[in-house]
Amino acid sequence: MRKSCLWLFRPVSDTPSAAPGRTDRYVTSPSLSGSAVPGPGADQLIARPLVARREDERLLAARLVTSHRPGQWVGAVVVLVLFAMLVHTLVTNPRFQWGIVGDYFVNGSIMRGLVLTLWLTAAVMSCGFLLGIGLAAMRLSSNPILRSLSFGYVWLVRSVPPLVQLLFWYEIASLYPQLSLGIPFGHEFVTVKTAHLFTGILAAFVGLTVDIAAFSAEIVRGGILSVERGQSEAAEALGLGRGRIFRRIVLPQAMPAIVPAMGNLLIGLLKATSIVSVIAVSDLLYSVQLIYQQNFLIMPLLMVATLWYIILTTLLSIGQYFIERYYARGKRRNSGPGRGLWQIARGNLPVFGRTRNDLAGLA
Amino acid sequence: MNASVSTASGPAETAPGESLPLVRIRGLRKNFGPHRVLDGIDLDVREGEVTVLLGPSGSGKSTLLRCVNHLEKPDSGFVEVAGELIGYRYDHSRLHELPHRQVTRQRARIGMVFQQFNLFGHMTALENIIEGPVAAGVPRKQAVAAAGELLERVGLAGREGSYPRQMSGGQQQRVAIARALALQPRLMLFDEPTSALDPELVGDVLAVIRDLAASGMTMIVVTHEIGFAREVADNVVFLDDGRIVESGPPANVLTSPRHQRARAFLAAVL
Repeated sequence: MRKSCLWLFRPVSDTPSAAPGRTDRYVTSPSLSGSAVPGPGADQLIARPLVARREDERLLAARLVTSHRPGQWVGAVVVLVLFAMLVHTLVTNPRFQWGIVGDYFVNGSIMRGLVLTLWLTAAVMSCGFLLGIGLAAMRLSSNPILRSLSFGYVWLVRSVPPLVQLLFWYEIASLYPQLSLGIPFGHEFVTVKTAHLFTGILAAFVGLTVDIAAFSAEIVRGGILSVERGQSEAAEALGLGRGRIFRRIVLPQAMPAIVPAMGNLLIGLLKATSIVSVIAVSDLLYSVQLIYQQNFLIMPLLMVATLWYIILTTLLSIGQYFIERYYARGKRRNSGPGRGLWQIARGNLPVFGRTRNDLAGLA
Repeated sequence: MNASVSTASGPAETAPGESLPLVRIRGLRKNFGPHRVLDGIDLDVREGEVTVLLGPSGSGKSTLLRCVNHLEKPDSGFVEVAGELIGYRYDHSRLHELPHRQVTRQRARIGMVFQQFNLFGHMTALENIIEGPVAAGVPRKQAVAAAGELLERVGLAGREGSYPRQMSGGQQQRVAIARALALQPRLMLFDEPTSALDPELVGDVLAVIRDLAASGMTMIVVTHEIGFAREVADNVVFLDDGRIVESGPPANVLTSPRHQRARAFLAAVL
């Protein structure tokens, strides 16, 4: 191919068709050079030639084709086949006994267990989160005693498995047979027998709350630290009080960092409540166990519990999506509606190969 | 225009008949660890005057400004605004730090504008502006009306619903100025208000500050905009290494600085 140097204001004779339409594309237009009538200055701007090659025409006219990724498609097919096998076995293996699953799905005692699981999760999460905010505030305070207390609490609680904590609170009566309300080292007003107070359900509540508080504290602390120092400084300069700065300025801006982690913690907690079955608290799992210990239909009844846990987790994930969207206001440049639930769900299906930007959606 | 430059000798006495300056800073010292940031600052700012603080980075300009509304606690010396000691109460030859609530009340009458704007990202322009007044007890409706007028004054009428991220740096800084003005302060502090802006956006922000100066607002401005200082300042103060090395009207300080450090600085930035 002959290389040609195309002087834009003096087109090469063998490409006459290109010249009239294209010159204005390269030559500095009068509006850009600042004066409507090209003076000597404008001449200088035009006089610098662009080096053109023949391929330019074809390249400019060509359509863009994105690269195919064969590896991705092979992977997608493999995953799809595995998925089809899973669905197939769920449907065709008679030992799942789906009929029995259906019979027990809304069984009365299972429903009561489900309700207990739900309110235990709600109560533990609310109290644990509030305690966690307090612990995080202590950890970030300038008072060294408060700081070390908070640090020590988180360190101790995170070091002990939740199951051990649960058993500990359940057996607390063997350490302290009586609990009293009164002046420290002084007079006692009320005294109760610990064994009467710490029933299974209270032990479950206290044990799990203590645990969740420690983890919430770390999540909240991380969220608060993610808010720029300048935000509270500006609020201080505006004469806002400390409480108001925390409630109105720092916490709302920490929430985008807090919510995904808390959602994770909440879903973890929903499932972790099943460990209360070891201290005979009749939650969802324990109710199911009571039934299958009598009729030995272990698998179908475990499937009942599993399906309920899946349904609850799905509902929580959807709730998390809306909370995240609420706290993301002011984060996006365009104020239009955000990505829909469908797009996020789609973005989380790797087989569609659209995972790059959308993974930030549902956990 | 008689800011005292004395560093070692005592502060200049107010001549009889003269009113008390709005801001009086005396013997201000501040260390960050072993590093001495402010080394005995004495400065007066009269009501309606614009004082511009100049100096190389690390010379203590921002720290000095932040001491004026007690964002930074001085190690010794004091700041007085409108005859009131900032952040402390004098009692029995001791300076007791004020409870947070009272410092808060003092700060509400001193507006401050930051280099990084520091607008509240989760709030609209309107919510940013009314936050201070509403916290101070102004009825919401009244605060909203005032905010509308302030936005108009900084050239952003109708942008009430915009979030900071939807605005350019220059627009954000003008909202930040409106936010500081919403508390009807007697004194405005500007900490390098144009340093984080694209060059073409600097003009709009400076124009707003210039208007503010023309309206008689007392201001202390830390800036590197020498042209702005020449035009607007009543008093230019040059800091170096935590001390005031030169101060006076811009015509003197900016054109014929006596101190060698100030001469070198001006030669470098002009």
